[in-house]
Order: sequence, then C-alpha cells, then structure tokens
Amino acid sequence: MNTQRLPPGTWGFFSPYIQRYRLRIIFLLGLIITVVTIDLAQPYLVKEAIDRYIAVANPNAAAILRMAAIYLGLVLFSFGLTYYQDILLQYTGQSIVRAIRVDLFKHIQSLSLRFFDQTASGRIITNVVNDTEALNNFFTQFLTNTLRGVLSLFLIMFFMLRLNVTIALYCFILVLAIVTISFFFQRILRKINGQIRSRLATAIAFLAENLNGMAIVQIFHQEAKQQKEFDNRNQALLKATIKENRIMLLFFNFTELFGDLGVAALIWFGGQAVIREAISFGVLYAFVGYIRRFFQPVVMITQQLNTLQSTIVATERIARTLQEQPDIKEFSGASAPVVRGQITFEHAYLAYRPGQTILNDICLAIKPGERVGFVGASGAGKTSLMNLLARFYDTTKGSVIIDGKDIRQWPLVDLKRTVGIVQQDATLFSGTILDNLRFFREEIPEDRVLAASRLVGAEPFILKLPQGYNTVLSERASTLSAGERQLLSFARAMVFDPKILILDEATASLDSESEAVLQEAIHKVSAGRTLLVIAHRLSTVQQMDYIVVLDHGKIVESGTHSELLGRQGYYQRLYQSGILLEEAVF
Amino acid sequence: MSGWRIVWSYVYKHRFVYFFGVMLVAASSLLAVWIPRLLGSFTDSLQHGSLSFSGIANFAWMIIVIGIIRVFAGWSGRILVHRHGRILTYKLRQELFLKWGTLSQAYYHRQSIGNLLSHALSDVEVVRELVTMGINVSIGGLSMLAAALYMMVIYMDWRLALAGLGPLVAIPVIIRYLGPKIRNQFLRSQAALGSMAQTVEESISGIRAVKAFGNERVSINRFEQKIDTIVQEKIKFVRLSSLFGSLVPLMAALGFIIVMGYGGFLTIKKVISLGDFIAFTLYLAMLRMPLEQFGRVLNIIQGASASLNRLSELLQVVPAVTDRQGALLNRNVRGEVKIEKLTFRYPGTERDVLTDISFTVKPGQTLGIVGSIGSGKTTLVDLLLRLYDPPEGTVFIDGEDILSYPLARLRQGIAYVPQDGFLFSTTVLENIGFSDEEPDRERAEHSARITMVYDDIKRFPEDFETEIGERGVRLSGGQKQRVAIARMIYKDAPIHILDDSLSAVDTKTERIILKNLRGIKNKTTIVISHRLSAIRHADKILVLEEGRIVGRGNHAELIKSSGLYSRLWYMQSGLTEGAESIKPVVTEEVGSLQSGLTEGIGFIQPDVTEEGDA
Repeated sequence: MNTQRLPPGTWGFFSPYIQRYRLRIIFLLGLIITVVTIDLAQPYLVKEAIDRYIAVANPNAAAILRMAAIYLGLVLFSFGLTYYQDILLQYTGQSIVRAIRVDLFKHIQSLSLRFFDQTASGRIITNVVNDTEALNNFFTQFLTNTLRGVLSLFLIMFFMLRLNVTIALYCFILVLAIVTISFFFQRILRKINGQIRSRLATAIAFLAENLNGMAIVQIFHQEAKQQKEFDNRNQALLKATIKENRIMLLFFNFTELFGDLGVAALIWFGGQAVIREAISFGVLYAFVGYIRRFFQPVVMITQQLNTLQSTIVATERIARTLQEQPDIKEFSGASAPVVRGQITFEHAYLAYRPGQTILNDICLAIKPGERVGFVGASGAGKTSLMNLLARFYDTTKGSVIIDGKDIRQWPLVDLKRTVGIVQQDATLFSGTILDNLRFFREEIPEDRVLAASRLVGAEPFILKLPQGYNTVLSERASTLSAGERQLLSFARAMVFDPKILILDEATASLDSESEAVLQEAIHKVSAGRTLLVIAHRLSTVQQMDYIVVLDHGKIVESGTHSELLGRQGYYQRLYQSGILLEEAVF
Repeated sequence: MSGWRIVWSYVYKHRFVYFFGVMLVAASSLLAVWIPRLLGSFTDSLQHGSLSFSGIANFAWMIIVIGIIRVFAGWSGRILVHRHGRILTYKLRQELFLKWGTLSQAYYHRQSIGNLLSHALSDVEVVRELVTMGINVSIGGLSMLAAALYMMVIYMDWRLALAGLGPLVAIPVIIRYLGPKIRNQFLRSQAALGSMAQTVEESISGIRAVKAFGNERVSINRFEQKIDTIVQEKIKFVRLSSLFGSLVPLMAALGFIIVMGYGGFLTIKKVISLGDFIAFTLYLAMLRMPLEQFGRVLNIIQGASASLNRLSELLQVVPAVTDRQGALLNRNVRGEVKIEKLTFRYPGTERDVLTDISFTVKPGQTLGIVGSIGSGKTTLVDLLLRLYDPPEGTVFIDGEDILSYPLARLRQGIAYVPQDGFLFSTTVLENIGFSDEEPDRERAEHSARITMVYDDIKRFPEDFETEIGERGVRLSGGQKQRVAIARMIYKDAPIHILDDSLSAVDTKTERIILKNLRGIKNKTTIVISHRLSAIRHADKILVLEEGRIVGRGNHAELIKSSGLYSRLWYMQSGLTEGAESIKPVVTEEVGSLQSGLTEGIGFIQPDVTEEGDA
C-alpha cells in the first residue's frame, strides 16, 4: 500500500524480527510453491493423460495407472508438506509476535508517568493487545493466503502459457476483469462491513447500557421509549446487513457467471481450434479446468488487503510507542545514602507541559519522623508535590533531596523502597490477597505480610473472607468495599516498610466507620517514619505535627492546626468555605 | 428440543417465501450439474469429428443460457432466504429486548450482563446461520449431490461414481469431527488473549502503584506468563487447523486420482466415453465445495441446539414483578408511605435483610434513613419501587397495599435517584428529561438550576445538547449525581427517593441542593445517606443497623439519645464523643453561632451557620 505515509522506522522496527527468521521464511516460500504446484497440476495431468494415452491410436492403460500412482505419491507428499509448512509458518509468526509483544510491554513498563498521564489507558491497552494481534494476523493469515493466492495465480498463468500462448493471453484478459471486479467489490464490502461493525457496536452498547440501567428504565417507566430507541439501532443494523448480503451475493454470482461465460467462450474459440487441429483436445480441457481456478486466489488476495491495511496501522502505532523515551532515568554511579527520612524541597518547580507551572518555587524541609499534613483546594499541587517525591516526575527546576542526596542521584530501587505511597483509589490486581499484599514478589516471606496487615488492622476483615489470605480477588476486587480495598493498599505499603510514607487522599472515599479504622492505622504506623498526608478531612489533618497549605502551586502557610486557625489566613478561609470537608476531588 | 420451535415457527410462518427460495436454489444446483454433462457431450461429438462450427456455437450458447439461468435462480433464491434470516435476527433481538424490559431486578442480580449480551450477539447469529446457510446448503448442496450422482450412475458408470466420490464423502465427516475441536481450541486461545488483555489493563491502570513500588519486573513476568499461554494455545490450535487444512485437499485429490486412474482405464477399455471421463473430473471439482459446506452445516446444527435452548429459555422467563391479577387501583399516587412490620429476604437467600420495619411518612414530609453499608437502606427503596415485591400487607402507599397498584401507576408516582446516579450516554437534556418522550428544555433547565448543575452544563461544549460518555464530556461523580437528581425533579412525581445521591457532591453544594429540594412543595421525600449532613433536616430520621431500626426521631432527639446516630455524628464532624460540653451547641435548637468558641464548631459542621432556613 502507500508506503510513503509511514513514519520512518516503521518497517525498520519490524525488520530485525523478520531478519531473525529470514532463512526459515525463504524455506517456507519454497514449501508453499511445491504444495501449490502439486495441487494445480491436476488439469495439466488430465490433459497429458488424454493427449498421450487415451485419445491416441493405441491407448495405454498401464501408463495411465502409472501416472495416477505417481500423482498419488506426490499428493501424499504434499499432504505432509502442507501440514508441516502450515505449522512452521504459524510457529514462526507466533515467535515473532511473542518477541514483539514482550519487547513492547517491557518498553511501556519502562516509560515514566508522564507517558501514562498523557496517553489514554485504553490506547495503551489496544496497543499491546490488539495491535500486536493484528501483526499476528498478518503472519498467520495475510502471509499464507497472499503467498498462496499470488503463487496460484502465477502458476495457473504459467501452466496456461505452456498449454497455448494465444488462448492463455485471451484468458489473461479475463483475469484482469476478475481482478478489477474483485477490487471494486472488496472496496464496497470493506465500507459496508465497517458500517455493520459500527452499527452492531452501537446496538450492543445500547443494549449493555440498558441492561445495566434497567432499574432506571423501569422506575421511570420508559420501557416503550427505550424499546423504540433500540428498534432504531436494530433496524439500522438490519439494513446494513441486508445490504452487505446483497452485495456479497452479487459478487459471488458475478464470479459464477463469469466462470460460465469463460467456459462458453473457451468452447467457442477452443472448439474451433480443436477442429482446425490447432490445439489438441486435452489442451482445451485443461483450459476449462484452469479458468475456474482463477477466481479463488484473486478473491483471497483482495480480501487480504483489509488485513494488510490494519497491519500497517498497527505497526505504525507500535513503532510510535517504541519511540517514546522514558524521562526518568537512573544516573550512572547512583548510590543510596543512609536512610533516615529527611526530606528537603529546594526551590522546586514542576510543569507537566512547558509553560504551565504546577509547582512554583517549593521550599520545604521535613525532619525524620515528622508528620506533615498537606491541604489545599483541588489543583493546588498537593499530589504534584508527591509526584516529585516519588520521582514519578523530575523537577523542571530546583531539586528534591532525601537524606542529603538529590533523589536523581539515588538508585531507583532504593528510592522506591524508601518512599511508600497509599493512593486514593487503591489499585489491586487479580490474584490472592496475599499476593496482592506482597505485590506478587514471592521472595517476601508470608509472616512479614501478616505482620503488616495486622499493623494496619486489615487482618480482621481478611480472615472473615472465605479463604482468608488466599482469597482470590476477582476483577478490580469489586467484592471488597472501598474501605477494605484501602486497608489492603495500606497494608501493602507497610509490607515494604518504607521510611517515608505518603498517604495521598487515602481516606477520601471512605465511610466514617472505615475511616476510623484507617485513622487508627495511620496513628500506629507513623512511629519511626516520616509521614506525609494529603487529606480533606479535618480529622486526619488535625493529628499532624504541622500542616502545609498549598494554593496555586505555592506554599502559602504552614504551622499547626491551631496556629493556622489563629492566623486567620487562607487555611481558616478554606476551613469556613467547607472545602476541607469535601469528600473527593473532581 | 423446545428451542427448535423458534426456528420452525419462523420458517413455517414464512413458508411460501422459504419454499420459493429453496426451490430456486435447488433448481440452480440442478442446472449447474447439467454443464459438465454438456461438456461431456461436447467432448464426445468433438471426438467423433461430428461437430461443425454451428454445433460448437450451439454448445456455447447452451452453456451461456444455462449459466445465466442458474446464476439468476440461485441468486434470487439466496437473496430471499438470506434476507429472511437477517430479519429473524432482527426480530429475535427485538423480542429479547422487549423481554428484558419486563424482567425485575431479581433477575438481573442473578445474570451477568456479559452473558445476556452474548445471547443477543452470538446465539442470535447462530440461529441466523441455521436458517440461511443451513437451509441453503442442505437443499442446494444435497440436490446438487443427488443430481450429480444421478447423472454419474445413470449416464456413466456407477463403479467409477462410487470410487471417485468415496474420498469426498469423507470431507463432511472430517469437518464434523475436527470442526468442533478446532472451534473449542480457538475459543481457548481467544480466552488466553482475553486474560492477557486483563493483565495489561491491570498493570496500565495500576501503573502508579507499579511505579511507586518499583514493581515493573513483576508486571513483565506476569505478562510473559500470559503470552506463553497464548503461544501454547495458539500452537495447539494451529496443529488442529493445519491437519484440517491439509486433510480436506487430500481427500479431494484422492478422488481425483481415482477418477483419473480408474476412469482413464475405463475410457481406454471403452466402458465409458472420453466425454464421460471429462464430465467425471468436472463433477468431482464441482462437488467439493458443497460437501465442505455441508460439513459446516452439520456443525452449525449441532451447536445450534444449545443456542436455541438458551434463547427459548430466555424468552420464556416469567417476570418476578408484574401487575397483579384482577382489579387494580386505578388512581394516582398522592404521597403517603407506610410500612408495617416488614420483614424481607431476597428470593433465594437465607438471611433476612430487613426485620420488623415499621414507619409512616405523610405527604410532604421528609424521611431520612441512615445506616452503614449493608444495613438494608437500599433494600427498602427496592421494595418501595417494587423492583422486588414485598410480602403482602407490609408496604402501603396512600393507605393501599403497594401490590394492588399497577406498576405503571406506582412508578409514575415515584421519582428516584440511584446511588451511582446512573446516566445514559445520550445528551444531558435527554438524561434530565428521561421521563418524557420529547424532553422539555425549559423544564430541564429549571431542574438543573435546582440541583446546581446548570452552570456546569452551560460550560459543556454544547451545553444541554452535549453527549454524555464516550463521545461527549465525561462527567465527574458529583456532576453525574446532580444530573441524576435533576432527572428526578423533572419527573415531578409526588414521592422523591434519593439513595445516597449526594455522596460525591461537596458539602457546600450539598447544603444548597438540599435547601432547594426543601423548597419544592408537596413532595414526600425519602433521603438515604451515610453522610448525616444530608439528612439532618429531615422531619424524621430512621437509623438502620443490620436490617433493624435502631433509632428514630429527628436530628436533635437522636443526638440526645447518644446511640449509633450520635456516634456517627461526632465521628463525621471530627469531634470526639468526650466533648459533651459542646454537644448541645451543635444541635439545631441553638441559633446562630458567632462567638469565638463556636467558630471552631462552625467549621466542623459548616452548615450550622445557615440554620435560619431550617
């Protein structure tokens, strides 16, 4: 297709994978040629039989049987070859796709948070799952079918030319007609199939939504209205499928009709040629046999164009992802200092996009073991501050220093071990609770996990679950309440025993009773740790040694709760406006 | 077998169309069989040298005419049959949707939506294949096979016919045998792919956690495991499909070899003519495709039983909540809600969710219900809305048993806001005006103003016409809830029910919305919340715990009684229970709080300062 459109490097990224299997691919090509030739020899063989042994003065029955026996051998050979070739091809394709998938996923995992914040997660998932599957289809469908189709076409042409050049050239006109018609129909079909897919998707999405919200439909007594809405979508789908069917049948019958007309023409011209003894009868027969075999490969090739198209798009997307570079890199010669938990922000600036400064000249010194609360309206920069500390992002200007060393000079592993985060939306993975708590790191002993879960008070509810710690969490842990999920996430952080613990709105979406358990947990774990708490709830912030108030990316106030209230400043205003009691940020 | 009735009754209903279509397809097949025979005669005449140019022209014309007729007959027959197959698909989907509209929540709790969708998708498609491909192929293919066999046996040689067709008959058998295996293995590899997709989704949506813990290596390992499973399953699939892909051509080739060898031999021995020999080879090539299709149809028929049974079962589900038999109250709801000694458990469960609940709400009154998760608050609403039927004589509206109202009347009388503020992915206007066929813009705007979402909507790209969801704006949790409340107000029903509908709205906005709601006169309002600020102004408050009422009264009374309610109150307002001395100050009786001491309390429960309107 139009290769100019591809960004540089699209096939560049592809080729090393193929290079690795170059010899095997050439070998496969040889196999396919052999198989196709054996299959296509049939009309030619009949021609040979007729012209040499049957329609001659002294027919030779033994020779015919011998020919049949030889062909039987070839056919059995071809059977084995087809089987072997197919498996080999698929295996090669699978190996290549596997390698691409693993490389792609590794690369994505190495990217920094900026990439994930700026790219819709759906797109990344599509990239890893569907785009690579499109490559898979390329190898398993496109390559096999196209190779077979093209080779068949050329072999038929070859056999025809060997039979009789003039008639062969006439037949090629027919091929041209078939190819043109095929392209034409495939283009229409591609369009209408796209329409069907999108209409089906619309209908199914509507259905899914209404099944989910059936209670609402019933309570508002709108069944009839929704039924009508569904009917519209369903009918649109019906129309498209009927149209598709009509075109499909038109195409199919066109090829049938062309076949019959081709045979009639052959009889007309070929028959005359036979009478004039310009060609033998066997040749005419072989032409009749071949002419119908034109259609299948042509249709096959034109159908594969869809696959090619989606492969190109998929390849482009994969290549683009692979070109993304991680922002956060470990400096060579990085080493960790003795960890105590002291944090210093030194004139730290952060802009997610150039020119849009989110954090502005942050200067802050936190002593080991201190408990600091962070408050501010949504968008004030609280989470961004934590993004810096965890090195999700690097500062645009200024630095973040932990225990006397710029965090960019820390080995990443040590930094992650030192800074632990409990987030607002507790992310859990499918697997057992135990595995979730140790984040699937088998090397972490079970008793350490149990101790952490006891410490935060998660154990009572875990033991109430059917399999205790071995309970398998289903998708997104939907069976657990928000509070329970939050406790698990808390316990998970404690398994890794971080010296610095960040609680990022960890209590925001909880009901009061779960919050009480968490409050208790916060209290318990804060011993011997530097604790940074972002919270909206007054009750959480009040306990802290001091509170940092942020507004528009700047620190506007800091001090203890009562100091801040006494100051009658921004904190007090926040307070009265009720923002401190807001339960979640939108 | 009952499922087959769906197909039979449809086919029977359209029997003339089907008869006509099938006849055309069969006629087309029979004509197609004539062409090799013609070519055979052509060969023989050519052989005998008895063919003139005009004789050739005759043959050519005959083939053209037969070709055209057979193509058009087959074409029109297929169009008829296929078209009706697609209409059946459409009708089945309509019927399913109609059915689903009548089924109650009890049903939806038992079913996964994904499962139901697969009925509408794949089961329906299977039925379509059955009534299109199934019918076409079995009639068209079988008549072709029969006609070819007839020609071969009567005009040519039965021994050659049997020998040549022998291997071909194996084709449907192979398909019948391998087809389902291949399909199962295909599904297994698809499942492996799905499981990989889930792993990817998890690790991408949880990337902050992965990065925070430096856990990329673990993610990659998990991913690699999934990939290996995919490769394994795919290879298994390939083994089967390659076997299939090489066996079918082998059978066709074996048939060809027999015809070439044995047929050539018979030709030389003058048992059959050269023309017969030619015709034989052509028949063999012609029959391969219908036989392959026939095998596939056998698989469709086999798989269809399951789909048909699922569908017919689904279409026969009896809704758990329906209008009662006999005379029903044909009057509008005014708004008095009374519950008497209600004990309820969900059908098919062992545990009472509600035990001995009794209360009354008079028209225009507001009832608040609090309780922790699982205390039975939502169940109470389910019963009032008759999403589940309560036991007889326990739930009354305007003094009459709720069961004696027609569902339509009852639901006309109640407007409801669900917990998650469920919205449809239509426009904002259509969502707010959901209770109307054609939503009224002005009324929707008015409702949006009451719920403080008007300004938000005005900021959307196409204000009230903005699509919600995928293609439009994504609403925040709070916006969703406020739109859902606007939808309730738009409906203008005498009874309002809000099920924890303000949980994602900040307290300040919550306060204003509640105030606005109180401004709407003559509405019986039931507010459920675990946030006490949402219900403290209610005329009456019920405290639920494990399905029982453990406290009732208004806010002040409940605070005084120092039960669960007052505990929750202190916890939520950030005070400790020990702070007895300030306790009275928080209650409504105390007017405005301006002094230095009370200022501290003011921020704890900011809406205390707005008591004037309470």
